[in-house]
Amino acid sequence: MINDRAKHLEDSARWGAWMQAAQDGDQVAYGRLLAEVAPVARRMAARQLAASGVAEDMEDVVQEILLTLHGARHTYDPARPFLPWFAAIVDHRVKDGLRSRRRHQGRETDIDAVPETFLSQAANTSATDRMDLGKAVAKLPAGQRQAVEMLKIKEMSLAEASAASGQSVPALKVAMHRALKTLKGMLGP
Amino acid sequence: MNTDLLIQELSSGLAPVKRLASPGRRLGLWLAGSVPVLAAITGFFGLRPDLAQCLADNRFIIQNGAALLTGLAAAWAALASSVPGFKRSRAMVALVPALAWLASAGEGCWAEWQANGWSSLDSVVHQKCLPEIVGSGLVPALLLTLLLRRGLSLNPALTAGLAALAAAATGSAALALFHDGDTAWVTLTWHVGSAAGLSALASAFGSRLLNHPATSRPA
Repeated sequence: MINDRAKHLEDSARWGAWMQAAQDGDQVAYGRLLAEVAPVARRMAARQLAASGVAEDMEDVVQEILLTLHGARHTYDPARPFLPWFAAIVDHRVKDGLRSRRRHQGRETDIDAVPETFLSQAANTSATDRMDLGKAVAKLPAGQRQAVEMLKIKEMSLAEASAASGQSVPALKVAMHRALKTLKGMLGP
Repeated sequence: MNTDLLIQELSSGLAPVKRLASPGRRLGLWLAGSVPVLAAITGFFGLRPDLAQCLADNRFIIQNGAALLTGLAAAWAALASSVPGFKRSRAMVALVPALAWLASAGEGCWAEWQANGWSSLDSVVHQKCLPEIVGSGLVPALLLTLLLRRGLSLNPALTAGLAALAAAATGSAALALFHDGDTAWVTLTWHVGSAAGLSALASAFGSRLLNHPATSRPA
């Protein structure tokens, strides 16, 4: 118990020092920090999600936590311990994810019936494909939809999209990656 | 994108950031911006003619001192809450002066009620201070919003509620210097009531007022 506490304090002090260096632009310290806190975030989030009885894609959750930490790094005060600051971000991100999941579940209905038009000629024209794609994009979660609209439809560069949306470039890349995964799932193989 | 790749992306494109100042330092900045504006508003309308008598009245001192302390404590708590890891219990720092403000106004109302009965309520209908309170609190509110948007509140409803309370309470304290004729009932309904109402309203729209890209989910 005492050893655990001592390790927590030691970790917190080391991560705090790395974050302080990262605030000054030290890329190596930041890389080390993120690599060490990612598994911690995974464990903390898994514990919270298990308590809520929810199964989420853990990598998605961890990535969202790292992106939030990245956007919040200017708020870390080196005079204060790192762990409470980090734990608050993990807690916020997990709870926010659960709230968002509940909102989506309230709006979505599972449909088991297989559409009967797959084999007809009309269902396979390019106009219909475009329409289906448009509908699928409209159904994407807001962050993913925004990434598709800016990067694919408006053909903005990552830097332009980042400036327009306020999201970081890595956050946009993650959103775009997830949007493509979601669209693949919606539109079939 | 896998997590290792994301870590590589985030660290390789890392730029130095300007560290957020402590809540105390940002409170100082807020006061440095707000006090001259409130002084200018007071100067524009002119000090109330009975100010010397008011300053000799304990009830006036306690009431407006409590309003001022509520404003300062709520502003500090709002600024402190814009850093992840803020303990909600620290927001209670604003509760003590706010309760003192409410109690002093309530005690005055009771005294007016005993002296004049129902007619003591007439002033509530005839004297409406909400536009003046909003007017005096507008610049402090805008300055505080700007300072808060530099931070990152994980509880924007609480932060916005505290910020509105800070601006309204400070506006009310400044108003007492140039606006005369306020009875205890007016203070309770229009000053304390406005602060509570504006605080609740800001709380309801907190996430829109203080939205930070880092707090929204990427997908």
